[in-house]
Amino acid sequence: MRSMNDLFMVVDATSKGNFAQLTRHRMPGALPFGAKYRLVDFTLSNCKNSGIKNVAIFPYGNYRSLADHIGSGERWDLSRRKDGIFILQPKNLNLTYEDAISFQRMYEHQEYFLRSTQEFVVVTSANLVWNIDFNVVLHDHLMKKADLTEVRDVDGKRLNTFILSRKTLLSYILDYDAINFRNMLEVFDYAPELVKNTYVFESACFMIENPKDLYDADMALLELDVKSQIFNPNRPVYSKETMSSPSRYGPDAEVKNAIVASGAVIEGVVYNSLIGRKAVVRKGATVLDSVVMNQCVIGEGAVVKGAVLDKETVVLPGAEIFGDADDLFITEKKQIVANDENLKVLQIAAECQPFVKTGGLADVVGALAVHYPGLGVRSHVMMPLYAKIKEKYQLFLENVCDQIVAYGGENYKTSLYRITDNGAVFHFVESYDFFDRPNLYGYADDGDRFAFFAKAAIGFFGALDEVPDIVHIHDWHPGLIPLLLKRDERYRNIKTILTVHNVEYQGVASSDVIRKLGVADYQITSPHVNFLESALYNAGRITTVSPTYRDELHYEYYAKNLIEAFLRRDRDFYGILNGLDAAIGPENDLTIRKRYDAQTAATGKRICKAHLQQTMGLFEGERRFVVGMVTRIAEQKGFDILLSAMDDIMALPEVEFVLLGTGDDRYVEGLRAFERKYPGRIRLNIGYDSANPNAIYAGADVFLMPSRFEPCGTGQMIALRYGTIPIVRQTGGLNDTVETFDAVAKRGNGFKFYNYDARDLVYQFQNAYNLFVHRKDDWDRLVENAMAVRFPVEASAKAYLRLYTTML
Amino acid sequence: MKKTLVAMILVGGKGTRLKEITKDTAKPAVSFGAKYRLIDFTLSNLANSNVEVVGIVTQYEPYELMNYIGAGASWDLDNIDGGVRFLTPYASAENVMWQKGTAHAVRQYFNFVREFQSDYVLILSGDHIYKMDYQKMLAHHIGHQAVATVAAIEVDWEDPSRYGIIETDAKDRIVGFEEKPEHPKSTLASMGIYLFNTRDLERLLDGGPQDELVDFGKNVIPHAIRTGLAVSCYRFKDYWRDVGTVESLYAANMDMLNDPDFLGLNSSKNLPVYSKSLNLPPHVVLSSGSVKSSVIADGSVIDGSVVHSTISYRTVIMKNARVEDCVVLPDVFVSENAVLRHVIVNKGVIVPENYRLESEEPVVLDQSNLKELGEIDE
Repeated sequence: MRSMNDLFMVVDATSKGNFAQLTRHRMPGALPFGAKYRLVDFTLSNCKNSGIKNVAIFPYGNYRSLADHIGSGERWDLSRRKDGIFILQPKNLNLTYEDAISFQRMYEHQEYFLRSTQEFVVVTSANLVWNIDFNVVLHDHLMKKADLTEVRDVDGKRLNTFILSRKTLLSYILDYDAINFRNMLEVFDYAPELVKNTYVFESACFMIENPKDLYDADMALLELDVKSQIFNPNRPVYSKETMSSPSRYGPDAEVKNAIVASGAVIEGVVYNSLIGRKAVVRKGATVLDSVVMNQCVIGEGAVVKGAVLDKETVVLPGAEIFGDADDLFITEKKQIVANDENLKVLQIAAECQPFVKTGGLADVVGALAVHYPGLGVRSHVMMPLYAKIKEKYQLFLENVCDQIVAYGGENYKTSLYRITDNGAVFHFVESYDFFDRPNLYGYADDGDRFAFFAKAAIGFFGALDEVPDIVHIHDWHPGLIPLLLKRDERYRNIKTILTVHNVEYQGVASSDVIRKLGVADYQITSPHVNFLESALYNAGRITTVSPTYRDELHYEYYAKNLIEAFLRRDRDFYGILNGLDAAIGPENDLTIRKRYDAQTAATGKRICKAHLQQTMGLFEGERRFVVGMVTRIAEQKGFDILLSAMDDIMALPEVEFVLLGTGDDRYVEGLRAFERKYPGRIRLNIGYDSANPNAIYAGADVFLMPSRFEPCGTGQMIALRYGTIPIVRQTGGLNDTVETFDAVAKRGNGFKFYNYDARDLVYQFQNAYNLFVHRKDDWDRLVENAMAVRFPVEASAKAYLRLYTTML
Repeated sequence: MKKTLVAMILVGGKGTRLKEITKDTAKPAVSFGAKYRLIDFTLSNLANSNVEVVGIVTQYEPYELMNYIGAGASWDLDNIDGGVRFLTPYASAENVMWQKGTAHAVRQYFNFVREFQSDYVLILSGDHIYKMDYQKMLAHHIGHQAVATVAAIEVDWEDPSRYGIIETDAKDRIVGFEEKPEHPKSTLASMGIYLFNTRDLERLLDGGPQDELVDFGKNVIPHAIRTGLAVSCYRFKDYWRDVGTVESLYAANMDMLNDPDFLGLNSSKNLPVYSKSLNLPPHVVLSSGSVKSSVIADGSVIDGSVVHSTISYRTVIMKNARVEDCVVLPDVFVSENAVLRHVIVNKGVIVPENYRLESEEPVVLDQSNLKELGEIDE
């Protein structure tokens, strides 16, 4: 075997994973694991136990907590005169997440690679829990005379771990801008000239990419054979030295199947759980099937089940938490969990399904409203009473009361109406002067209309059956409410939360509206008031509709003029993915040619596809590759790169393209030109009612969304339900819902490309096309994976509810 | 490098009163409270008192202790210009320098004190359980313009004959000092912690015949008082225990067990007590396990019943075994159906299946006396 000094290590900690609130304060490598460790301890201990003395960590984003944990690296024997441990921070702050560390990122620190003296390098990930001797892998690599060895687990899962020579790695790093591969995964998959070797690691191994992975791996440690494979006395797991007394059990403690770290105090009941350092389970408290991290306190009589409680979570006495393995209750660091029974939530928005809808906003408000009662929430909604609603719902509207609202020196009579539906109460604010008009928006006095609405809405709080605990406003229209509530003595205790559905719509009006509202102590510094900006600064919490869009709003490219506000509110800013109504899908769809489900998808989709080709006037044929789009035709939706890519796409012989949409003439013209150029292969349906969108969702093979940005997006979610494979740009909600198909592990539900660039779009499109044409089995598996994805509204409602409880 | 204060920890004798527990271990390396060693308390006190130079005077079975302390990093004592030094017996030109007593040992290593040109020397024991800020004692010493200061604590009336008993005047100056008197004149006992002006200590140790000034408590302090030097008493009022016997080791463990906030061990504020990490996974309680009123250290696996006991690291307690009112030292394996009560289980003991030992008074169970003490139920 080679000498151990022949290896150095590159730890990829750039992966952000999808950890929701667990990674708000840290990067995944710093996540607490196994009651007393951090994830990165395992990688660094493997390094120490393999005799590796030269390690570089490439962190993503917030690495303070990681740097603090690693210190000088002496706990892993990495505080050295020669070599040692290096945290190589990103030089470019605008880097976004990637699947794996890119050669470009390594290029930023090329000196490290040039100076390292070892002949071979292990590239591995910071979020792996395993106990591996890398020298054994190196030995295998040399025996097989390989150029590149990838480590996989027994199920073929890729572990983002590779061994190769420093020289080979350097060649990729130095030429990163000239080669076709961004990272090691792509090299392994596509580099033609290399001798590739796969090393299968047969012991217990966990790759942690989301809270569920973390939970499952933690729970697996309760199995003695897994535990003994991870904790081998001859190859110990080293961690930062901490200070705590031994674990202490009270006289009434009852503990079974539990891992308990030092400093923990157990006075209550703990079953099938991990209890972190200095966590306290008080008398009468019960912890079941949960991961309780450091310094949490579970109060007397509290119940915690199926939860991952981040560090320092406090569960107040008597509070109850119920999650399960498939729907974990996850807290945020230092969260206080109170008893959330009968929480009163009032959503205020300009539109709400089923009453009136112009965009996705209405779906979200309506869906949350009717799901809250099932979660024990008293659900209220308030919105303007537009003429359209009045006409349609006249018979159901119940008058609650009237009031006079002063606005700009005038008194206006307003009335409150309500409809109770599915346990939720919908309130409508009527004003002849402001809302009794044919359209929802688009009037010169929109600023006055919604400033007035804010004041009138608050005026009616007293007329509700109960004063809300939480006022949840959506988008800019009710944007002045947090500002007004802050100044209202009566409602000091109400917490406010703003959801931004799309930062493009901000609501800018003359500052006069502030004066007209009679806000006394407000310093008018600009001639305009921006409703969304005001809400961003004044709401207690901010959310947006996907975790990735939340991250993107930290960059000016996405947040535009509001970048400062978003950065300032970073602490209170969350991303919660929208859900999709359970009723949507091919099982119950009476408008498509043939209904189908996951089992009957092959036949169903074939019939729907033939029908689509027929009705659209496309060439017919089962092996043709039908690309569908249902979209607003706008710059945001990626038409600039789509038009540039069109010829390359159509160069693939079997491709057919069908689009349903309406919008910008500029792009429509461009599309029409292609329709003429490729007769029988491209069909446009312009105008919202010109065709049935579901026929495209059901009949197409792939669904294209090359959006420049996409806060959440619903098209891709619907497409997945219909087994139509999304090809999307890796942005916003598209990134959170689509996972690129991995032909080796058979995981993933679609195709994503990263750069807003026609070349990248074409590249992923070709991958999809090739899979469809040449790998029928893989394609069927892909369709199966796609149809298995759900995005339930309940999950989104629960996420909001959990956020509300952090505010009380 | 000049320092104001250096400390010398006297590890001392064989600790025979701890029986098998110290047969191959220096007393300060004995386990306490599941995860600690006795020396942790003194070393943590030094770190918390910002004493940067520590000499550990040792001659009996020093290996385990040296191995445990290493460079002192776990107590933040690995300073560049100071840190932990082990002062072990050596052969000089004339003879091998075995230590005859505490004062004799300090005199032997006086070069260590001179190296740091310190103004004061703090003399400590390595086997006491307490938390003390030595800077406060130094402030008292300076404030009373003393030549030497002795830390002292009030003990129960039944106890005094075990200690050095101190008589003071109204200004806390010591006027009488008797080691283990038959008829004690007070209940104020010396804790064996002494602070000297370096110059005065050197003069005292060189002033008399070496054979007479062997021990601080027996010889040096009484001698200083007799010769009229200013010896002051620093009264300490918090928890303190000298763990010299099986009974006191057991009692100290029970003190820890019965007080959930014992010495604030779980708090990182107010003189935290550090110990060395052994890189062990957290302990696990399996499906047949049950734990009540106990403390358990990392690396243990509990599948039996543990009641009112301290369980040190890497202990395995198998199914249907019962451990009650016990002090279990590290690396013990308790087999199925074994029953132990009122036992100090020495480190590394393998308790066989169906073994039974239910004692009235705490006894030390060792691999060597398994058969004498208990029996195996058939």
